[in-house]
Amino acid sequence: MTEILVTLLTVLVVVGAIPGVCNYLILLERKMAAWMQDRVGPNRVGPWGLLQPLADGIKLLLKEEVIPGHVDRALYIMAPMISVFTTMLALAVVPFGPVEDAPWWLRFIIAPNIDIGLVFIFAITSLAVYGIILGGWASNSKYSALGALRASAQVVSYEIPLGMSVLGIALMSGTLNLEQIQSQQAAAGLLGWNIWIQPLACLIFFTSSLAEANRLPFDLAECEQELVGGWHTEYSALKWALFFLGEYTHVITISFLTSILFFGGWHFPGIATAESTYMFAWLVKLMVLMTKVFMCIILIMLLRWTIPRFRFDQLMELAWKIMIPLSLFNVVLVMICRHFELSNVWLLTGSVTMFCVWGIVSTNMRRSELQAKSPGYRMAAAAPVAATSAASGGHH
Amino acid sequence: MMQWMTGHPVSVFGLILWAAGILWLMPGTKIAASRPRIPGLVMSTLGVLALCGSAGAGQSDLAASFLFWLFAVGALVSGVLMITATYPVYSALWFAVVTLCTCGLFVLRSAPFLAAATIIVYAGAVIVTFLFVIMLAQQSGAAGYDQTSRQGKMATISAFVLLGAIVMAVQTPAAAGSPVVAGDAVAGDAVAAAPAVSNPATVANTLSLKDEQHEVGNLKGLGRSLFGDYLYAVEMAGTLLLIACIGAIAIAPRREQGTL
Repeated sequence: MTEILVTLLTVLVVVGAIPGVCNYLILLERKMAAWMQDRVGPNRVGPWGLLQPLADGIKLLLKEEVIPGHVDRALYIMAPMISVFTTMLALAVVPFGPVEDAPWWLRFIIAPNIDIGLVFIFAITSLAVYGIILGGWASNSKYSALGALRASAQVVSYEIPLGMSVLGIALMSGTLNLEQIQSQQAAAGLLGWNIWIQPLACLIFFTSSLAEANRLPFDLAECEQELVGGWHTEYSALKWALFFLGEYTHVITISFLTSILFFGGWHFPGIATAESTYMFAWLVKLMVLMTKVFMCIILIMLLRWTIPRFRFDQLMELAWKIMIPLSLFNVVLVMICRHFELSNVWLLTGSVTMFCVWGIVSTNMRRSELQAKSPGYRMAAAAPVAATSAASGGHH
Repeated sequence: MMQWMTGHPVSVFGLILWAAGILWLMPGTKIAASRPRIPGLVMSTLGVLALCGSAGAGQSDLAASFLFWLFAVGALVSGVLMITATYPVYSALWFAVVTLCTCGLFVLRSAPFLAAATIIVYAGAVIVTFLFVIMLAQQSGAAGYDQTSRQGKMATISAFVLLGAIVMAVQTPAAAGSPVVAGDAVAGDAVAAAPAVSNPATVANTLSLKDEQHEVGNLKGLGRSLFGDYLYAVEMAGTLLLIACIGAIAIAPRREQGTL
């Protein structure tokens, strides 16, 4: 009986907290955007604009729900629901705290002891693409259809490096269960964090997760300058907001997964280790994990205003020509190290070497490609020295 | 076969009724909307009920049996809707629902990895590709050729002959020489028993299952079975897919100025 109650409470906590957290993340994102662009940002509602999310929420709730006459009604209504449902369901196997030391009334994971944890997350998030496709198709508008096509091509492509990047971790820890991956890292200490043995996998995982969530610099789906609003052009009010609730939930899931898979979860040397048994150790561990997750989210938001958006062919090239081969080589490297029982140092050096070699190879390939296309490329590349000196001369 | 048909008249009746219902629902050469769908639905429902009643499937646990019926009925209904839908997009979506329901059944039979892999491959990739093609092909209104089914009668008849064969195999008590029972499995309850993951006679690999009762169903057991007992089959399937992949790339037309 308590089992059911605890499960219900955990579900309620997660489902109740996510929309509120998402709201305030949006405020944070707007504030950070303002800060990076030397503006003030939202500051009208409440002190420092702290009530802005509330005002936004009320606006979205009370706004008139417009369903255009030319849409396929059933699928049009279903699309945002799928978006939110799939991202929320993926959170079910993510441990959001120290599962072993949880207080009796909360469990820190909705569905514990799922053998296939990671695969479950990939399976569920691979269904999220239906929200995009159906939203675009049901809208019966060319802008939406183009946005949906782009977005779904992107999501389907980036699923491959996403899945392959964590194969190395699965091989190293011998499990796909997120709780076990986390507790193994906690038992191994700071140098046992997976980031030290799988730095390349971490980079690939993080990048392709951003693409999966349609976050900048991968937000070609929206691409407001060219496509008006992507697959949700025809949506308004709360249905539109649900798409973004899904996106932000995805960002939270990514941050949790990155922290748990690569950065040791709730482990931090000194204050939160596997041995710390003082009172409220679970609270400290929870706070450590939340801090890591928060830093991840901040990084994602900083990236948004740092890296410009990719062009579509660049996006596809990044997935198919760079990330997929690199993640494949990474798996091979892990397999070699496991088979010959090499030290973990080899994994670190191997990852870094692969990254550097692939970078040099692909930039050289790109250069020769450009040269083949336009013979004047070398001159243009050599010209800037003369051009800048001429320009600076002109200004003075 | 005649023995089974005379022994299980309800099953045969159910199968025939179901097939007739599907045939009625199938969009024919005319526009499908001109024919009322109710008789077809009633016929198929009655047929399925008759078949289920005669098969006597059921589980003791209330929650498990509720979930079983939910997924089973969901898979059947969405399967029928999939082949009778007049819009190709809806057809693809019902296919996705069929896949999800089947995966639910996999989970109930404690094969979660199989379920997750099926969702990733079918619902997440294959059907999405279908949808892509459909969306690119036509965006508004269904074309005439989408509203009729080609070879509907032949397909229905052959599908139900196959289904009849499966039902017969399940209902016939397994005897020696029956194709269902392979090798040294015990006759009688063999059909209902767990599939022979590791047949001791063919084990020649050190990776093979040590403790099959304990490990069947979980990830470790599945991995050992795939890369131990069925190593050659897995590798051959992988090679086949790789060849198909290379072939697709070789066949695909190339343009001078990139693909976009």
